[in-house]
Amino acid sequence: MANQKSSSGLPFPVILVIGIAMMAGGFYVSKNVHIEFLTKLAEQGISLDPGKTISAIGVLLILFPVIRSFYIGPLGDAISGRTAELERTFTEAESLRSEMTQMRSDYERRLVETESAAREQIQSEIRKAQELRGQLEADARSRADEYLHKAQADIENEKNRVITDLRLHVVDLTLGATEKILGENVDSDRNRKLIAEFIDKVEVPG
Amino acid sequence: MDSRVAKRYARALFNAAERAGVIEAVESDLGAISSLAADNAQFRGFLQSPRISRDDKVRIAERLFSDRVTALSMSMLRLMLNKRRESEFDAIREEYVRMRRERGSVLYAVITSAVELTESEKTALISKLSSQSGKTVEPDFRIDPALMGGVKVAVGDYVLDGTVRGSLNLLRDRLKYDLLKQH
Repeated sequence: MANQKSSSGLPFPVILVIGIAMMAGGFYVSKNVHIEFLTKLAEQGISLDPGKTISAIGVLLILFPVIRSFYIGPLGDAISGRTAELERTFTEAESLRSEMTQMRSDYERRLVETESAAREQIQSEIRKAQELRGQLEADARSRADEYLHKAQADIENEKNRVITDLRLHVVDLTLGATEKILGENVDSDRNRKLIAEFIDKVEVPG
Repeated sequence: MDSRVAKRYARALFNAAERAGVIEAVESDLGAISSLAADNAQFRGFLQSPRISRDDKVRIAERLFSDRVTALSMSMLRLMLNKRRESEFDAIREEYVRMRRERGSVLYAVITSAVELTESEKTALISKLSSQSGKTVEPDFRIDPALMGGVKVAVGDYVLDGTVRGSLNLLRDRLKYDLLKQH
């Protein structure tokens, strides 16, 4: 406080001395100096004491720095602090707002990117699925054709086999009937003739 | 059956029989023993039983055959029983017979007919076979009514078929072959 300066720039001790001097001077003037003009004003009802005024000014000079030191100064500091805090708060709020704005824009950008990527991924998956479907359809068609050809071949083979079996069966039946007829018709004479022919034609391999 | 063992035994027996001049007699002995084993289950069981000791088998075989077969045949039977080669008996006999035929230039022919051949037919057929092969024919006449008619001669690996059954079988085979060839 001793180093504080008044608004006029004077140091507080100087102001204090001036104030005390003015108090003392004013008191002295109030008690000892009588001015005619002021006496006339007092008689007219206007009481005016320059000494008290000077003393009051001296008191004010002494009290003002005290008030400034103990009230106005802290109040100003508090107001400045509050103002600074508000400014800081506003700055932070602004910063947060800009940060949120940035985050929002980032989020929207990411959302757009994600949507785009998801769309591309979906399209890619759809393409793959379509390719797979095409491939599976082609495979299924190929397999179906293969089964069809195999079934046709099997049917053809089975038909041929059955026809062959039937013909072989006919051969067996025919030869069975022939055997029966021959068995009934090969008598002793025919048998002797067969034996004679065999003996006549037989050739032993070397 | 181990054919190598049978051949070794048969060759030894045949050489010994040839030196002793008893080839036919030994063959006859082997045939008789083989027939007995085929016809008599008790004798077949005795030969094949693993529970009868070798000495007992030899002693019983000597009691059964020593005065009925040649000494060489008895020695062979004794050797086979001692060596546990009873199961090879038929194979040895077959190999012995084959060697005898080979050594004597004999053509073994199985002649099968639906009815029995007359003597003149037999003679004519044997004569024809003998003249064509240049060997002495050893016929084995058999009757099989299923042949229906004609005659069939089996010589070694060859079959000369003049039967009705054979002709029908040949016809059947040809027809089936033609049918199967179409597909």
